[in-house]
Amino acid sequence: MRKLSAAASLAAVALTAGCFSSTGTDAKAGSLAEGNSLKGVTLTVGSKEFTEQLVLCQVTALALRSAGATVKEKCGLQGSNTTRAALTSGSIDMYWEYTGTAWVNYLKQTEPIGDPARQYAAVAEQDLAKNKVKWLAPAPANNTYALAVKTTTMRRLGIADLSGYARLAKSDPSKASTCVASEFAGRSDGWPGLQKAYGFSLPKSDVATLAEGAIYDAVGKGKPCAFGEVATTDGRIKALGLTPVPDDKKFFPVYNPALTVRESVYRDDPAVEKIVKPIAAALTDAVLRELNGEVDIKGEQPSRVAETWLKSKGFIGG
Amino acid sequence: MTVTAVPERTGDETAGRSLAGLLVTPVFLAAVSAALYLYVRGLDLDAIERRSLGRSEITHQFLQHVRLVAVSTALVLAIAVPLGVLLTRPPLDRLSAPFLALANVGQAVPSIGVLVLLAVTVGIGFQKAVVALILVSALPVLRNTMVGLRGVDRSLIEAGRGIGLSRAAVLFRVELPLAVPVILASVRVAVILNVGSATLAAFTNAGGLGDLINTGISLNRTPILLTGSVLTAVLAMAADWLIGIVELVLRPRGL
Repeated sequence: MRKLSAAASLAAVALTAGCFSSTGTDAKAGSLAEGNSLKGVTLTVGSKEFTEQLVLCQVTALALRSAGATVKEKCGLQGSNTTRAALTSGSIDMYWEYTGTAWVNYLKQTEPIGDPARQYAAVAEQDLAKNKVKWLAPAPANNTYALAVKTTTMRRLGIADLSGYARLAKSDPSKASTCVASEFAGRSDGWPGLQKAYGFSLPKSDVATLAEGAIYDAVGKGKPCAFGEVATTDGRIKALGLTPVPDDKKFFPVYNPALTVRESVYRDDPAVEKIVKPIAAALTDAVLRELNGEVDIKGEQPSRVAETWLKSKGFIGG
Repeated sequence: MTVTAVPERTGDETAGRSLAGLLVTPVFLAAVSAALYLYVRGLDLDAIERRSLGRSEITHQFLQHVRLVAVSTALVLAIAVPLGVLLTRPPLDRLSAPFLALANVGQAVPSIGVLVLLAVTVGIGFQKAVVALILVSALPVLRNTMVGLRGVDRSLIEAGRGIGLSRAAVLFRVELPLAVPVILASVRVAVILNVGSATLAAFTNAGGLGDLINTGISLNRTPILLTGSVLTAVLAMAADWLIGIVELVLRPRGL
């Protein structure tokens, strides 16, 4: 197994070596830079490939630059595991990760902890001890899973919550057809656990496996499925007139985003933590949905969206 | 029928090689599958891995993959070979140059692009994935059918006509048998291309071994990823081996 993880790290280095890395837009000092200086420090910020990650990558890069750091960007690495391997192998210094993802993917647990604070504490403690990865303060935002459905369809079917959806799945499975992505289909905190928690089992013919990004459109059209797995902070939910079905049994765990930093970087440059803290505190569900929507719906560049938001909060000058 | 005007090409060498290969391949593939089975059996699997690596789950995905490849390859043969024949007969043979150019361009289109494009415009599922696989792999077969038929010595065709065979008889008894090696070479390519491309069908609700590969990647579970990848490779080699046998049967003796 050790050989395999070494190979994975090597692959990650190879993947990231040729990756788009740039020194993006500059940022003037704002409230984040007060009393925090990173002059002469060079840091590399990375991220996964989906919209929210690209925005957070830019937010972090701009914030660190406003305090005088030289920041290299490696935003948009392919997939969680590649990005994680880039962090542990040292080709990036930090990226935003979600508590639930780390718990399942890197700490190899299968059952999530229901309480967000305890989940965060468990992840932070184990990850530091096992992998030398430091978790900075978590954001209040909860980018968890939900089943979404067109608001009009929800009214027509008379469903108020997931218990109602489960009843429909039992009485008329074809009306409860559901789109999932392969990751969700395999996770204990995803499709298998959901069916167990709500006590239903949808026949295979009424479950469609799609690429994650294709699900929104499919549910929006109602073809090939009425319901679909979505991420709660995605801007497309609102834009396509979808509603996340309320999770009345509180099955889905909480996925708080937090900046994960290599321990050595955290020790050498403690200012990073102080700079990122106010940003994390400001990242609520509503803020993330809005920022993601700017990119996914209005077609703005993640760097522009990040800059505008940081300036509006006074975090950076401009 | 024997044609003496054939330039002497000893086929013994290739036949000998493929005969040995025919015996070696199934043994090798069985060994690989057994090794994979023992490796997975010996692991301490967690709940996520147990779900994806259950017997019924793997069997289902494997058979789904075989179905995708078998249906798309059969349809490719049914479409591309007759079309290739038509395009080398008058009056359509004037169209063959533009068609070949088109076939060459089509080869450069990435299969994931075709799949997703179809998924967005037409819809998703098994049938659409088959259509995408046909679009991607029909082109080499069409091209090689035309090239193979064109490569048949004109004097042989005239000799066939000279001994009173009809055009159709010449096609079936002289031209096609002589073009078999070239056509089957492209069918090999098409099948292996289909086995690989069919893993992408998992993104558009057509199932298959791509489901295992995706789950393995997205959940960082090496056993799942390895199982999906090894089974895909085994399937590709098994398909290649089957076509090797078909070629031995169809290839005219002495070629």
